Amino acid sequence: MLLSLAPVQAVGRGALRSVAAVGRAGYMGMEAARALRKVGFWAPHLLGQMRRIGVESVPIALFIATFTGIVLALQASYTFTGAVPLYFVGTLVGKTMIMELGPVLTGLALSGRVGANIAAELGTMRVTEQIDALETLAYDPVAYLVVPRILAGAVMFPMVIILANAVGVLAGWGTALSLLDMSSPEFLRGLRLYFDPWDVQFSIIKSVTFGITVTAVGCFFGFHTRGGAYGVGKATTRTVVVSSMIILVLDAFWAAVLL
Amino acid sequence: MNQGKEILVGLVIIAAVLVAVVGTLWLQGTNFGRPSTTVEALLESVGQLSEGNPVTFRGVRIGHVSAIEVEAGDGGVRVTLLLDGEVSLPADAGLVLGPESLFGDWQAEVVSRARFPRFPFYEVPPNEPTTPRVVGGYALPELSRLTASAEQISLNLAELTARLELAFNQETTDNLSRAIANIEAITQEVRTLVQQQSELAGAITANADTALAEVEGAAQAARRSFERMEDFMGDAQMDSILTNIRIASAGLRTVTEELAAEDGLGATLDRADSAFVRIDRIAARLENGEGSIRRLLTDSAFAVRAESVLEQLSLLLLDVRENPRRYVRLSIF
Repeated sequence: MLLSLAPVQAVGRGALRSVAAVGRAGYMGMEAARALRKVGFWAPHLLGQMRRIGVESVPIALFIATFTGIVLALQASYTFTGAVPLYFVGTLVGKTMIMELGPVLTGLALSGRVGANIAAELGTMRVTEQIDALETLAYDPVAYLVVPRILAGAVMFPMVIILANAVGVLAGWGTALSLLDMSSPEFLRGLRLYFDPWDVQFSIIKSVTFGITVTAVGCFFGFHTRGGAYGVGKATTRTVVVSSMIILVLDAFWAAVLL
Repeated sequence: MNQGKEILVGLVIIAAVLVAVVGTLWLQGTNFGRPSTTVEALLESVGQLSEGNPVTFRGVRIGHVSAIEVEAGDGGVRVTLLLDGEVSLPADAGLVLGPESLFGDWQAEVVSRARFPRFPFYEVPPNEPTTPRVVGGYALPELSRLTASAEQISLNLAELTARLELAFNQETTDNLSRAIANIEAITQEVRTLVQQQSELAGAITANADTALAEVEGAAQAARRSFERMEDFMGDAQMDSILTNIRIASAGLRTVTEELAAEDGLGATLDRADSAFVRIDRIAARLENGEGSIRRLLTDSAFAVRAESVLEQLSLLLLDVRENPRRYVRLSIF
């Protein structure tokens, strides 16, 4: 009897854990929002987090964007050959890079780099009881550890993604000139053809939410790490997986809501 | 150490903001520091035109659409064009909106309205300000409308084809085939008949020509005879001839009576006497105005009518020769 109910029990346990995790996440979010008032706790650490999360992520973001732009231009020319004017390569590179691939690919890449970093750092602090020590010393660990990271992610992700978008378009432009026998006016004609300033705003809105998601998920799993080094590794993995999933869900959500 | 972090973060933020702002403006076609001209256009509607679409003049891009606003009331739509530099537009400039390509992107083309007299350009109200310049515009029908029309046409064609299929079955085809064969046979027969009629008509025409020539010759001969007779048979001459004939007749009678008295000549003289009697009778009838010839000789009105008849006959013959179809008709059916 008990053996036959084991799967049901597992489903129930998983559901309760998920609901409990959502509750803990909500609770931590409320605490973080409340901790925004404690500027003295988070402000001194904001700049450092902005450098770690933003500036140090620029190279990998630009690397990804460069090759994304190249591949986009090549695949666009391969698709458009014969049927569609070649200047639409510029249109496709610009639109796709700014609205979709720039934010999403950079977000996914930074979820691995930034989110995993945060989860591992906070997880280690948790398993080594450094966070407990902060609480003992009357420090608000959320204001001290979580808020500067989330704020840094919210500010720096758009910056990194804007640069990535620009570099991706430039890479596509260079590819069109060097490999596709296109001229600059031709590429720019396509690039400007359907350009709308809203495209950039849409990209920035997504970037902000991706930055908040990646840092918040990393903080959450790091903050709730259990079980030593194994727990840290597990928290890190979960951070990357969950933040990547949320990024893709948010991408679809914003496309449905804003476009 | 902290200063270095601040500079690094500041640089990234400034660079990203600059890229976002400058890149957006550049992609929108904003002129950085270059002079520009603003022109406005009023139209009934703008089709698929949107802000940022190119403005062309004689095929050259000279600016872009910077704003599109619906006018209050029934004032149409006001389109603001931002032209690069100072472009000299025609005095009767108008704006034509239309598709730039088959992919749905539109453009605004500045044209001379005289070149497109059939386009119903929007009439700009006289109270519009002169600066910026306001021109009337016209939006070409959208591709979707043309597609809808083409779809309607294709539907009509499909219906027509279906009706044709219903009407044009195998039986109809066979009937048509037979009818065509019959028409070919009839055509062949008609061709043969026409050839025969043509040959006959040719012969008739030739005969008619010959007959007419003969009639004409006869008429001319008759005319000449009448003329000679008229000249010859004047009143004075006629009397003299008659007198001479009477005298000769009397002399001959005397000679006959003398000859009759001798043997061998009696029968001959009797026949001559008889002939002379008949001549005398004819002369008497001519003198008395009896018979057609005497009437012809003595009655001038009769002679004139006869001459008139001959003239008309000559004219008729001439007309018959020149216009044979008027008198000789060939009809097949």
